[in-house]
Amino acid sequence: MLAIKRVPTVVSVNQDCGSVSRDCLQSCFLTGFDLPLFKYTKKMKTTELQLLGDEEVPSSPPTIERSFLGTLLLSKWEERASQGLFRYDVTACESRVLSGNYGFIAQLNEGRHLKKRLTEFRVDQVLQEFDPKKFNFSKVNRNEVLFQFGEGEEAGYYDITPILSSPDFVLINVSPIEYGHVLLVPRLFDFVPQRLCANDLLLALYFTAEVDCPYFRVGYNSLGAFATINHLHFQAYYLAYPFPVECASITRINKGSLKSSLRISELVDYPVKGVVYESMDLNEIAISVASTCQELELRNIPFNLLICDCGTRVFLFPQQALHQVSQKVLDTQVNPAAWEIGGHIVLKRKEDYEHATEEFVTALLAEVSLSDPDFQDVKNIICK
Amino acid sequence: MALQNGSLLSSDRKCVRSPRMKNHKLIVSQSLIRSYRASIQDELQKHAYNFVLCDPGLPDHPIVYASDGFLEMTGYSRDEVLGRNCRFLQGRDTDKRAIVEIREAIREERDCQIKILNYTKAGKPFWNLFHLAPVFSQQDGRVVHFVGVQLPISSKVAARKDGHLTGLELSFDELEFEEHFDNPSCKNYHLSEEDKQRAFAAVKAVLQELANSSCKGVSSMRSKSFSEGVIPPGFVATSLLLALTRIPHSFVLTDPHLPDMPIVHASLEFLELTGYTREEVIGRNCRFLQGPDTDLAPIEELRSSISEGQTCTIRILNYRKNKEPFWNSLHISPVRNSSGKVAYYAGIQVAVSHSSEEDEGRARMQQLGTLGAIKVAVRSIQTGPVLRKSKTIS
Repeated sequence: MLAIKRVPTVVSVNQDCGSVSRDCLQSCFLTGFDLPLFKYTKKMKTTELQLLGDEEVPSSPPTIERSFLGTLLLSKWEERASQGLFRYDVTACESRVLSGNYGFIAQLNEGRHLKKRLTEFRVDQVLQEFDPKKFNFSKVNRNEVLFQFGEGEEAGYYDITPILSSPDFVLINVSPIEYGHVLLVPRLFDFVPQRLCANDLLLALYFTAEVDCPYFRVGYNSLGAFATINHLHFQAYYLAYPFPVECASITRINKGSLKSSLRISELVDYPVKGVVYESMDLNEIAISVASTCQELELRNIPFNLLICDCGTRVFLFPQQALHQVSQKVLDTQVNPAAWEIGGHIVLKRKEDYEHATEEFVTALLAEVSLSDPDFQDVKNIICK
Repeated sequence: MALQNGSLLSSDRKCVRSPRMKNHKLIVSQSLIRSYRASIQDELQKHAYNFVLCDPGLPDHPIVYASDGFLEMTGYSRDEVLGRNCRFLQGRDTDKRAIVEIREAIREERDCQIKILNYTKAGKPFWNLFHLAPVFSQQDGRVVHFVGVQLPISSKVAARKDGHLTGLELSFDELEFEEHFDNPSCKNYHLSEEDKQRAFAAVKAVLQELANSSCKGVSSMRSKSFSEGVIPPGFVATSLLLALTRIPHSFVLTDPHLPDMPIVHASLEFLELTGYTREEVIGRNCRFLQGPDTDLAPIEELRSSISEGQTCTIRILNYRKNKEPFWNSLHISPVRNSSGKVAYYAGIQVAVSHSSEEDEGRARMQQLGTLGAIKVAVRSIQTGPVLRKSKTIS
């Protein structure tokens, strides 16, 4: 029995539709339509090869400039904004930093939770079967799809291509927390439920690395840790300000080795217990994080991930599965998910925003933090 | 960052200059000339400290001056470091937390003194007592440069001399590579008060030199009126500047709350496109780009969009400083800051030759992408001094 009331956010305009709308992605997939495609490559780019040399050798111009993906994402997003596809202008939402030690960021966003509905699925079970009757991302309006994201021999951008056979999509979130708020849905038409495996996480890391911007972060919420929809997805947005968790003190918990550059550390003196994985090798991070998360899923421990620093830093926050929450906290309707635990709190009511304090946020986040013995179990999983 | 088989290659041994800094020699010398007398390099040369000056108003916050001591300590040549961000000093085992502290100090425009693991060009690690200090303009309160002083820390007490520590002192030849980084006693070893005072003294001397050589007035502290909340018009906080200079396209920010809506920020690419220097454009209305053959109708469209707080795209004939005309696809839009209210109007320029459909499509994508990046930057909460609240445009 979970005490925190979930208030699901509306990420797609089609979320309330009972029937399949003609304009939805699924229908378009069946009839066939064209979408832009961004291809990333795991091979080294020729531009980097030249830049790494000691002399600047003349090179042929690159097919796409560095961090083109960021420009593409922002331009498509801005286009959708000018077409009125978002439920409100997120840049008109006020934000401020709460004074104190952590520098929590509070935002007043009255438009985000307009509808209050019962939760669509059990929230005390981390792994649940995909249910095609419930809302999933094939039901989004085709306008909410920004582009396809796929791997290729060479990086490139194609304005109009037919949909790939097993496409990964980038969609808008119609109730954005920040500018550029998108959803990354790996292999959408495989209809995978919200659960993590190394390949899907690696896709998210490549996505973050390709955008190549320290202000762009990617988050993941498991079921039971305030995921909105049981269809595999990550969220991402831009915030040109440090997340409090990125500035927190950490202490290393894994042994160093000359072979691997992976550092795993635990957060010190932060309201929520968590670990952070750091490495320049994305493969390494993906494999290590996914293996831990799969253990957590099997033990029914909900968790959140926050991917920062262009993919080289991943925070993992395991959550209390069952807990009591004070009514005061319930009334603010803040769900402590990846962003909130990272330190970015969206508040629905003006009075909550105006009176928000670091103490309030610390207390809210502490509600979901694991107990010491439970967290020790998690550390044992990681370090074995 | 480069990707190879899933691994991000660290560019710490190789100095990677931002590709936008291809005229770095000119840009770097302009950065100094803008604020100080031409003799500044000679004056700074007299100090035997290891230090750099960095300019937060240029892409990637690059080094614009490096002392001989700094070059000797790190093993790089002057040409290898000018125009590049200091991160080449960091390496595999540099504590992320230390980097974050430095970043925070830069954002908050304040001093910072910290012990950090750095690497020479040859890849040898050394502990560095790093002291950062901002240099403020007396005119408009902006941070014109950051001074970074480095004092390599030696583990051998006997090796310490009374004078400055010049050149590199390798700190732990005898320690095992792995053992060093995770051994807490190594991190805490011997940072004496003397070391700290020496760092303070070095910073103070450099700041004094800069203040003496300044043509427009710089100081280690802001002017009194500024600290009391009187913010000069057109002030741009460092945290905003750092975000804006990341955007690799031509654009300007204008302030609609000031008379005649002057430019308060112009990107490097705008200056390169138009041929003007920063001083020649900041504080002026954009109309200086118009010329004899500029059609007035699109200007009227622009003016009316602005008065209604709308976005607008026009095609207009503009002129560079050398009088050369070019067709400019200009997109303007109001941009809000963290208060949720309009703070600036952004103007994004794309030089277009023919109007081919593909060109138009690409231009449009660049404009909207640039606008998005500007919105992200301006929306961020500005740390540092309290900014005056913006009025809404009526």
